[in-house]
Amino acid sequence: MTVTEVIFYFIAAATVLGAFGVVATGKVAYAALSLVFTLLAVAALYILLASEFLALVQVLLYAGGVAVLLLFALMLTRARELVPVLDGAQKPFAAVAGLSLMGVLISMVFLTTWPRRADEPTLINFNAIGDRLFRDFALPFEVASLVLLVALVGSIVLARTEEEEEE
Amino acid sequence: MIRLESFLVLSAILFSLGVYGVLARRHAVLILMSVELMLNAASINMVAFAAYTSPERFTGIIFAIFIITVAAAEVGLALAIVLRIFRNRTTANVDEVHQLKW
Amino acid sequence: MGMEQAWLIPAIPAAAAGILILFGKYLPRKGDWLSVLAIGTSFVLFFFVLHDLTDALARGGEFTAVHSGREWVRIGSFNLRIGFQVDQLAAVMLAVVSFISLMVQVYSLGYMKGDKRYGWYFAVQSLFAAAMLTLVLADNFLLLYFAWEGVGLCSFLLIGHYHERRSAAEAAKKAFITTRLGDVGLLIGAILLYRSVGTFDMSTIFDAARSGQIDHAYLTAAVLLILLGAMGKSAQFPFHVWLPDAMEGPTPVSALIHAATMVVAGVYLVARTMPHFQVVDGTLVAVTAVGLITTFMSAAMGLVMTDIKRVVAYSTLNSLGLMFIALGAGSVTVALLYVFTHAFFKALLFLASGSVYHATDELEVTQMGGLAKKMPVTAAVFTLGAMSMAGLVPLAGFWNKDELLLSTFENHNIFVYLAVLVSVLITALYMTRLVLLVFTGKPRNEHVYEHAHEPGPAMKLPLLLLGVLTVFAGFVVFDGVGRLMGLPGGFGEFVFTHEPEVFRINAGVTASSILLVLVGIAGGFYFWGGAAERAKAVGEKMPQVYSLLRNKFYMDDAYQWVIDRVVLVVAGVVSWYDRVIVNDTGVNGTADATRFSGFLLKFHETGLMPNYALLMTVGVVVLAVIAFIVGT
Repeated sequence: MTVTEVIFYFIAAATVLGAFGVVATGKVAYAALSLVFTLLAVAALYILLASEFLALVQVLLYAGGVAVLLLFALMLTRARELVPVLDGAQKPFAAVAGLSLMGVLISMVFLTTWPRRADEPTLINFNAIGDRLFRDFALPFEVASLVLLVALVGSIVLARTEEEEEE
Repeated sequence: MIRLESFLVLSAILFSLGVYGVLARRHAVLILMSVELMLNAASINMVAFAAYTSPERFTGIIFAIFIITVAAAEVGLALAIVLRIFRNRTTANVDEVHQLKW
Repeated sequence: MGMEQAWLIPAIPAAAAGILILFGKYLPRKGDWLSVLAIGTSFVLFFFVLHDLTDALARGGEFTAVHSGREWVRIGSFNLRIGFQVDQLAAVMLAVVSFISLMVQVYSLGYMKGDKRYGWYFAVQSLFAAAMLTLVLADNFLLLYFAWEGVGLCSFLLIGHYHERRSAAEAAKKAFITTRLGDVGLLIGAILLYRSVGTFDMSTIFDAARSGQIDHAYLTAAVLLILLGAMGKSAQFPFHVWLPDAMEGPTPVSALIHAATMVVAGVYLVARTMPHFQVVDGTLVAVTAVGLITTFMSAAMGLVMTDIKRVVAYSTLNSLGLMFIALGAGSVTVALLYVFTHAFFKALLFLASGSVYHATDELEVTQMGGLAKKMPVTAAVFTLGAMSMAGLVPLAGFWNKDELLLSTFENHNIFVYLAVLVSVLITALYMTRLVLLVFTGKPRNEHVYEHAHEPGPAMKLPLLLLGVLTVFAGFVVFDGVGRLMGLPGGFGEFVFTHEPEVFRINAGVTASSILLVLVGIAGGFYFWGGAAERAKAVGEKMPQVYSLLRNKFYMDDAYQWVIDRVVLVVAGVVSWYDRVIVNDTGVNGTADATRFSGFLLKFHETGLMPNYALLMTVGVVVLAVIAFIVGT
């Protein structure tokens, strides 16, 4: 077992643990923190896969932006109950469904023959990514920016307090 | 050398946990968090495939970037909707919003 | 204008009918003139066709009917023609139909004046003329059947002309349904022949039948079915019940359709398909039997009925029965001579009784009496018609009756001959009775008597013309008369089955006929003269017989019983099956089941997003497992 592998299993365990925390804790704040933890662990995985850029984006956008946004939302929608119940009535069924899905996916992974690689992944430099992104994927990039713009405007319109409500 | 299967199994576990979270949780924001888990699982898949099948083209990484972009937009919109529902009904629990039936 | 253009004769009234139905109410006088003009033109055209025909006959040699018309539909080997043929048989029928139609339409100008559906009446009259003329000219069974149904439709419409009156509507329905039973026979018979020979063309079928190409049993069935059609249309036993009821229609209609033309379509059909009947043994016996039964039943009922039109209707049945007996003797000549002369005097009788009704608004003879004083012309022509019907020499009716007796005497066994002789006696008896009750004696109803008056000129002209013909039409049997008219000789040399028949007189037959007629007339005077006490006494002496006859041998009641107890019960079961099984269970049932299952199923829509998501996940898993199993 190489060092890389050890590191991988370590990070993988952290990821799964974090994800478990997100779906299983009884308190919303813990769930949010677990999510941040998971996202950071995924960023570490990206580094293992030789994508520094993606790792940076993950940390900045996800662990920074999205997680903070979610925390804000939690704060704004505080439950009325004194002891909030976070899980719904169909939790046992959900567990069965999730487990069976996991079984299906994992068995598929092992039933398929995947390509193997001998060398260690080489680091992808930022210039190459920029090249690909703005040359080959220029149109999707522009469309994505438009999506973001629409989402921005839409969110403001939806979340804005209307004038009648103020009165 | 880490095998591709290891990443795929990790992604499968992450995805299934996300699905479980979506199905089991009743608070809308927690469901969104679970959705983020599923998106991350998909991203890991993409990146792993990119690294193992065509490292010189790394299309999977570009895909992951787009996934993150869309996820950001999605979270923003979804939170606005949750906020809206919360203001109207003073709850963010999805099992209390069930007018859309017979 | 010759025989090839014979199609114009039905086409002109057909066009008039089309115009009248569509635009009748915009025309001046609602278009009655157009109808009369059309049938008048057809009547004139008939003479051109007749002239052409006699020319062709005079040229000698083997005469075959002249065909004209055009192909209508061709589907593979199936060829449908609108084909017309002119031969002697068609010519006689053309003469009768076009002339009586013209007379009746002129009469209707006066009779129907002020009627609510005056324009419609003339439109249907034109349509009837077109259909009837097509019927007699058709050279294939399909066109014949088409026209056959056409006249049936017009008959239905005209019987139900006063359809506000329930009895008229019922009578129209009865006539239509009863004749329809026979029509189906005709259609099936024609189709059987088509299946066997591969064409609807009559002459081809006749040739095939003569040469024995058609299987014997098959041909027998076809012939009997065609006979069924003829019986329905000609109101032969057991279909005769519709004809007396058909008197609900306007009287000119009774004269045209239910005396002179449509009802003799059955006689025409049998005459036309005579080659078939001669090929198949026994069918002519059936024709005779049907004719005999009809003759006797109708004659007996004519003795006791009190509705003037119905009595005349029973006399029509009587005549139709005699025509069938003539056909049964295999003599087309006698049957057609009967059709020819009968048309004139029966139309005359009906139109005259129509005059009585028009003036008095009364049909019951028990309310009449002594009308001769108020309407002498009507009385005179009615008496003329009645005596012709009775067969008094030298009126038209005498000649055909004599011919009939002769042919039965020579072709049948003695029983048929004697039966016809008896019917001659009864006919004379009840025709005398009718004349005496209506026109002589003391007025039985002052009100009716007061109102009686002679009809106007439009009605009087046809009466007088028909009266003249009633006297002279019978003379066509003589050779000299035929030659005078440009025909090749007497009637028997014009229309014949195998070879020309020269008019003969058998002294014994003629003497017995004349004697019986005179006895009948004398008997009529004896029983119904004065206040008719003797007849009443006879009726009281035999109450069972009297009520049997009054109730028309209970045949209407029997049919009604069958309809009520069998047809309606079966229909009720079928309707129950349709309503409960087909509709409620089959149609509504599936709808209800769908709605109920939808009602039950809608509860799976909880409105809870997590439930939907769960189901979706389960679905994905299940699909993946299925794909896995199927894939390996």
